[in-house]
Parts: sequence; C-alpha cells; structure tokens
Amino acid sequence: MTALLLGALGLTLSLVVPGLLAPARWPDRAPVAAVLLWQALTLTAVLCALGVVLAAPEELTRAAGADHPWVVAALVFSLVVAATIVIRLLISLIKVSVRARARRERHRMLADLLDRAERHRELGGAEVRVLDGALPLAYCVPGREPRVVLSDAVLTILDREQVDAVLAHEQAHLRHKHELVMESFTAFYQAVPRPLRSRAPLDAVHLLLEMVADDAARRRTGPAPLRAALARLSDAVPLAEEAPADPAGESRRRRLDRLAGPAPRSTGLSALAGAAAVGLLVLPTVILIVPWLARALDAWPFRSL
Amino acid sequence: MALGELEREVMAQLWDAPEPLTVRQVHAGILAGRDLAYTTVMTVLDRLAKKKLVVRTTEDRAYKYAPAQSRAELTAALMFDALNGTPDQDAALAYFLGQLPPGAIQAALDATPKET
Repeated sequence: MTALLLGALGLTLSLVVPGLLAPARWPDRAPVAAVLLWQALTLTAVLCALGVVLAAPEELTRAAGADHPWVVAALVFSLVVAATIVIRLLISLIKVSVRARARRERHRMLADLLDRAERHRELGGAEVRVLDGALPLAYCVPGREPRVVLSDAVLTILDREQVDAVLAHEQAHLRHKHELVMESFTAFYQAVPRPLRSRAPLDAVHLLLEMVADDAARRRTGPAPLRAALARLSDAVPLAEEAPADPAGESRRRRLDRLAGPAPRSTGLSALAGAAAVGLLVLPTVILIVPWLARALDAWPFRSL
Repeated sequence: MALGELEREVMAQLWDAPEPLTVRQVHAGILAGRDLAYTTVMTVLDRLAKKKLVVRTTEDRAYKYAPAQSRAELTAALMFDALNGTPDQDAALAYFLGQLPPGAIQAALDATPKET
C-alpha cells in the first residue's frame, strides 16, 4: 500500500503537477518562491521513486509470506535499483558541472582576448567585456572569474541608463549563482530516461530566474530602463518574429508585463509557495516512509540472524 | 602588467597587422613607453600558439606570427558558442538578457559580415 501511495504521489508530481505549474501565472509575482517550489517538486519526485523501489519488494514478499526464498533477492535487487538511481543522478550532476566549467573557462579566456577594453572604461565593473558585433547581445558567463559580455551593438542602441540596467540584471545572475540552480535542473533532465524527459521544469525555472534578475535590476535602476532595454534588444535581432511558435517571445512578453506594473508585493504568496515547497519535501517522507520503515524493521529478514 | 592583459594586446596587434609579425615587431608595437622584456613577448606568443590562437610560420629564417582566425571570425564563433547548447548536451553556458529563438541567432550570425 505504501509503495502504491508513493508511486501515485511520484507520478502525480512528475507528470501532472508540472503541467499545472508551468503555465500558471502566479509565479510571476513570487519568482524566488516558485523556484523553490520547482526544486522541492523535483526532489520529492526523486524521493518517491526511491521509496517505491525500496518499499515495493518488501511489501510484495510480505504478502507472499515472509519465509519466501525470494525475500532476500528482492531486497538486494531493490537496493541495487535505488543505488542506480542515486548514482545516475550524481554522475549526471558532476558531468554537467564539469563540462559547463570547462566551456565557461575557455569562453572567458576568449572574451578577455577579444575585449575592446577602450569601449567600456566608463561603464565600470571589472568583469565587463565588450566584443565587436552588429548583433546586440548581453550575457553573463558565471564562474570563479565571472564575466558580463556586451556586444558593441548593445552600446550603440541602448543609452547609458539602459546599459546600467542590463549590467545590473546580469550581475544579479552572477551574484545569486543562478547557474547552480540551472545546472541541477539540467542534470536531473539528463538523468531521466529519454521517453520520460520533460523540458517544462527547465524552461519554467529559467524564466523564473530571469524574473529574479529583473527584480534585482529594477531595485537598482527602476523598471523603465530595463524594460526599454529588453524591448530594444529583442526588436533589433533580425528574423526573430519568423521563428515558428516562438516560446521566447511569450516569455519576453511576460517579463515586459511584469516590468510595466508596480514592483510585485507578494509576501503572502511567497510564504504560501515556500510552505508548499517545504510541505512537499517533508510530507511524503514523514507520512509514507516512516510507518513503512517501522514495519519493515520489524519484518527485517536479517534480524533473526 | 597582468598576463591576460598582455595577451589581449598582443592579439590586438596581430589582428590589426596586415601580415604576420615577428616577435620584434610585436614587442616594438607594445613597448610604447613601457618597460617590457623581449622574452616576455616571446613567451606570450608561445602561449597563444599553444592555445591554437596564433600560427607560427618561418620566413627568411625568422619566426612570424599571425592570428589563427580573424577577430570577426573568432567573435562570431564565441557568440555562437554562448548561444548554442541544448539541455541534452550541456547546461546553458551563459545567461542572456533576452531569450532569443535559436533560428534567429543562426541567421543573424550568418549575416554578420566576415572580414578576410
């Protein structure tokens, strides 16, 4: 019964809830809490999967009779499967972060070489680099020595105030180490077998982190310059509107809408989402695993040895 | 002067030069009022060659250095690297201000004029 409940909860959390949470609009008003909720959701789904694997054989064999010779084999098998899940997740996490570090390191080195230092002396910020290029791009490269990279075109189409807002946005990504959040979601995405994968959490969390950085920039420069910068940078990219079914356009609109209104005041909403996140993590563990653990310990086949 | 800063200046010289330069030419170009050892410039060029950013040729029994790629080519490659990447391979390398559709990016990069 425990295994069934855990399985149902795990499937609900990994198949049904993301479908409800991803298109929801309330996270726009509490992006930090919503990121926490996504993290709790993912972690709880993993815990449920582990719980099912560990609980199911024990329950099945108990139903079949405790002295059944399959008991030990089933337990060993379930431990192996559980260990496989954990190890697969860990390997994925290590792989993703090692590769990202190597690529970023090389990228930083090249950005330093290509830097047109004379064009950003007055911008301030030792980590800012300016590259040639007619394509207006602004991005940050996280790491131990982070960089904020702007293309020349950004400096020509944005005024000083807007550039400052862009820098504030990128520096917020770096300061809050958003790359660690994205890496963990990417690692989870890669560890899930291909047919079961969903990009929904990854894309939703990405957009939420952009909103978190938007809010940080808004606090420093006010919403207007960032809003203008966002609109201008996207408008300046040719062919952007020709992309079919453009999800980036939709997320850009959501960010622009947020910046058009007053700063979100959503302590209640944040508290609610935060509580939901904690509840998600704790509840299944407490309600489902603990009683199972108590019974399983009583029925542990090695106890009599 | 920091090594990174020096590498940047050496590359800038090579990129701006119409033809491959000798160590002495690079040294003379950078020197401009600074006390910099000839051997330091040689070391920097050597490091850049190891990173495959410059190519060394022999001409009239002297080593000459040229950038492996033009500034425009390397810039375009770098930006493409930043924009590229699906979660199937890697975590995002960089975080962009605006999230751009990948098709538009490729098209825009192709449209970027490349000097030769």
